[in-house]
Order: sequence, then C-alpha cells, then structure tokens
Amino acid sequence: MAAIPEKWDLEYDVIVVGWGAAGTAAAVTAHDLGAKVLILEKMAQGGGNTRVCGGNIIIPKGKEFLEYLDILSFKTTEPEILEVFVEEAMKNGDWIREMGADVQVFRPLEVAYPTMIAGAGFPHVRGAETVVKYNIKGTLEEGKPSERLWKFLSGLISKRGIQVLTCTPARELIRNDQGEIIGVKAEREGKVIWVKARQAVILTCGGYENDPWLKWDYLPVKPVMFLGNPGNTGDGIRMAQKIGAELWHMTRLSCLIGFKAPEYEAAFWIAFLNEGFIFVDKYGRRFVNEAGIEIHEYYRELSHFDIEKMEFPRVPLWAIFDEQTRRKGPLSRGTSGYNRDLYNWSIDNAAEIKKGWILPGNTPGELAARIGVDSQVLEATITRYNQFCRAGKDEDFGRPKEDLRALEPPFYAIQLWPALINTQGGPRRDKESRVLDPEGKPIPRLYAAGELGSIWGYLYQGACNIGEALVFGRIAGRNAAAEKCWD
Amino acid sequence: MRKKVVAERIFSIASSPERIWRLLGKVIFSSLPEMENIEILDENNFRAILRTRLLGAEMSLKVKGEVIEISPLENLVVRLSLIGPGSILEIDQRVSFVIKPMGKGETTIICEATVDKIGRLSNALFMRQIKRFAQGTFSTIEKRLRDLA
Repeated sequence: MAAIPEKWDLEYDVIVVGWGAAGTAAAVTAHDLGAKVLILEKMAQGGGNTRVCGGNIIIPKGKEFLEYLDILSFKTTEPEILEVFVEEAMKNGDWIREMGADVQVFRPLEVAYPTMIAGAGFPHVRGAETVVKYNIKGTLEEGKPSERLWKFLSGLISKRGIQVLTCTPARELIRNDQGEIIGVKAEREGKVIWVKARQAVILTCGGYENDPWLKWDYLPVKPVMFLGNPGNTGDGIRMAQKIGAELWHMTRLSCLIGFKAPEYEAAFWIAFLNEGFIFVDKYGRRFVNEAGIEIHEYYRELSHFDIEKMEFPRVPLWAIFDEQTRRKGPLSRGTSGYNRDLYNWSIDNAAEIKKGWILPGNTPGELAARIGVDSQVLEATITRYNQFCRAGKDEDFGRPKEDLRALEPPFYAIQLWPALINTQGGPRRDKESRVLDPEGKPIPRLYAAGELGSIWGYLYQGACNIGEALVFGRIAGRNAAAEKCWD
Repeated sequence: MRKKVVAERIFSIASSPERIWRLLGKVIFSSLPEMENIEILDENNFRAILRTRLLGAEMSLKVKGEVIEISPLENLVVRLSLIGPGSILEIDQRVSFVIKPMGKGETTIICEATVDKIGRLSNALFMRQIKRFAQGTFSTIEKRLRDLA
C-alpha cells in the first residue's frame, strides 16, 4: 500500500477512477451535490466498454423484476442489493430525462444468429415480462445506440466542467492510520502524481477482459478473447486487493463468440445473417443447437473440458457456412465492439477471404484440409446436418426447423473463440456501493460501481450492465458526496 | 403522390401470434434469397443489395430499409427505398404485416405493400414487375410460414 505523501499534487473532494457509464453517473451525481470531482482515466479517451457496447439500458417495468433477478443470481447476490437495483433501475429513464436526454424502447428485428433481443434473455423465468430495454433516443444519423449513449454521458461531464485526466492510470489507493481511503497514487506522463480525495474514492475502472493471467486463473473456459475496451486489465481489482477488499463474482462473465485477427488487440464479434451455418469443435463435430444459445452465455457451451484429452475441444471452434450465408452480409457488424472504429468488415466477406481470415473450400474434404480437421468427420457432420435440414428436424441438438437450412457448396470456415463483452467480478460491495473487506465491513471512503465487482453473480440479463452502472454510479456518487471531509 | 397499394395478401395459419411473430422476421429475410450484402446499421435500419430481373435484364438494386413501426405480436412496418443502377429506378415503398389473433389457435396475417413515391418513368417501366415481385414475395412468406408454424 502506498505511503501517505508529504505533499499532494492535486486535491479534490471525490476522485473517480475510470470513465465509462458508472464513472460518469458517479462523477455527475457527486458534482451536482457540491463535491469537487476529478476523473482519472487510463486510456487516451473515455468511454471504456460503454462507448462500444450495444448501448441498451434496462428500465424494468415492474417490481416483479426482482423475482427474475433473484432466480438469475442463483443466490450469489444479497436480495437487499437486488432490491435497491430494481428500485433505482426503474428510475433510470427519469434520471436520463432529468439530465436532458430521452429514451426509446429497443425493438430490434431479431434476424441474426446470435442477435440482441428485445426482451428477457431467459423468457421462461418468473418476472421476465418486466424486462424492457431502452436506448438513448435518436436517429441513426445521430449515431449508433452506444455512440448516442456516450455522447450523452460525456456531454454531462463537459457541461459541468468536471475535470478529466486521460492517459492517467491510477496505481494505488492511499490509506491513512484509521483505515480510510484518502487519495490515489496515479501516473501521468511517466511521473507519479499524488491526488488527495477529501471525501472519497470511487472505483469504476472496469473488469479484466484484457488481463491474460486473471482470465486464465478465474474464467471457466480458456483462452478467452475480448470484444471491448483493451484498457480493462483488472487495475481496480488489484488496487482493491492491496487494501484488503473482498472479491466476488470473479468467475462470472458475459461472453459471445469472436474472430481474433493477430493484428488487432480485440476480437471481432461474429454473427450470421442466415440459417446456413453450423459450429464444429476442433475435431469437426457439431456440439450444440447453434441457434439457441443465449447471446451473453456462449461460454457455457464452450467450457466443456475433455478429461481424457485434457483440453477444451470447443476452443477454438469453427463456424462452417455456405455461399448464401457468405453473400448475405458481413459476419462482423459495425454496431459494437472495440474494432468498430478500426476496421470495416467487407459487406460480402470477400476481403476477409483474401486476408485468410475466412477459409474457403469447394468440398467438405477440401475445407477440412484447410482447417486441420479429419475430412471424413467433417463430411459426415455436414451430411448429417443437411439430412436433418431436409427432414425439418435436428435429431442431435433440436435446432428448430425455422433455423435449419442445408449447407451447399462452396463452403467456408472461420475460427472462433469465446469473446468477452465483459467480466463481472471485482471488489465486493454493498447496496450503498461501499467496498467491503472479507469480514463484510465497509472500507471507509471507498466505493465501486459498474462492471468492476458487478452484481451479476451467475446469469446475466442483457442491458443490465449499463443499467447497473448508472444505478450504482449514482448511489456511489451520492454517498461519496455525503462523506465528511477528513482534513 | 398518394400511396398506391401494389400487393395485398391475407391468410390465416393455425398457430399462435407469438409463434408467427417469432418466425416473421426470419421468414421475411429468408424469403428474399436475392437480397444480399445486408448491413444492419442499428436495430431499425439496414442496407442491402437486391438482385432481380427487370425488363429481362439482371439488375442490382440498392435497398435502404427502415423499420418505422414494430409492435411485437401486432405489427411490423418497414419503409424501403430502392434505387436502380444510374437511378433508372427510384421507388419508396412501405411494407406492413399485421398479426391478428382469431381465436381457436388461428392467427391472421395481413400483408400489404404500397408505393409512396415513384418516378413517372419508373412507374411506366416497372410497376407491373414491382407488383409481381411484391405478390410473389408475400406468397413465399405465406408458404414458408405455413411450413414452419
């Protein structure tokens, strides 16, 4: 733990570490309650995963949402925390309107595999009917949903003149003899800076999607790529651990499938605009109803471990698809993901074939040779799948008949990995957003919100990370601003 | 120009509105195998290329689609702008699907395609084919829904 410096370089009431949705909600709330706020952001620009996510926000339409969450949480999050979340999430729309924007209901045409759906990810669960997703009201000309969200949130910071130091990673929390968090040791332009927090520090610096060791150690499937912000390297987790915080939900994740090109840090989210595709494992065998995987829960299907072979046979997996699917549209859409602003996937996937990202084959045998699987196995897999399509019944995995279409040559393959939208773990916190120690006692003057130690301990409902970031960001900001100054 | 109905189809299927709604989006897209290079821009907007034969020649039309109304289990309205090569064809179309539960496990689907805007030349040259294409697509959608429902 860093010693208390003799001289502070900067002095503020509240320091927010990390500038995404949670950091913004915390900073704005604390500022509006009279605190002098500083945001420390490690990356050159703010936004974190918020800037590149789907951009949807949960605003439940009834308190029965609590029942739904209680079942999804599988008792990994205390009911009192879920209660506060539900109560406050119902106010998300009011808060956004109060802040000068408006919301619109998210109602997509659910045509892709996988697709973001309008309602509950687990529609059979009690209370699922209360799930309603919104995004910031606007047209396509005003930006994609996450662009509109970040424009709105970052605008709140600039309108208030809240100071943000980008390229300034926080390194350690500073604690006094009473155990209170009184500041942050950060790094700026290669130099250490000491920033005093007279009231509190709020950690909102995301998860550990881009920390290979933490992922390898904690996550149930290995290796896992990421789709979002490369700046999420578990910094908040380490800072909190150093001062004795308890961790929770560390094995939890929100995970899609992605293609990883060596020249890009993040993976590309992959989806198919047509039924003509299957997934096969390293050995060319199908293993799942490809059309029936909940969009955030892909890792559950991929985490099967083969004890005999001592490996994850579905990591990486291969998507096998045909010409009609190839021509239907780009496998990676520009709506979300960190690579959105870095690369334009070609609309007919031809450029990616040229690059060798997508491998073609005129026959199953030719394709098998390209991807290194047994040609007889892949041929048998495709033949069997095509028989199911013609019969209108998938006898192996129950893929619904509306999602079946026989694959016709030429064929294509793309290598896919589990790819994180985000991790959910981090310092444990209570309903007041206070960070707790292993005995369940709050660490004085330390708060956390957002993806860092989120409330999602088991199953995750889409649009809830942003919803939660706003809720517990506001709570953290409110409580931080209510702390008495220590000096 | 007043909107002009170019195709209409009403049919009932022995299935629930929930099932029909679940199938509808997928069936619309799969009933247009000639629609390619679909770019989903956000939940309400897409762009695509529609390959079709007009006046005996193969043509690629640029399609811009906007979902202007979507009420799950009730209706779906899409505005489509189609532009042919060299702007030989420019047309603004509206396609709607209304789902009505009829009781006893029956659901009625009302499909309607209207033309909101079309140039005089396009009207003279292509209207008959536009009608035929819309009617054919609705017929395919009906058949596919019947197969799947």
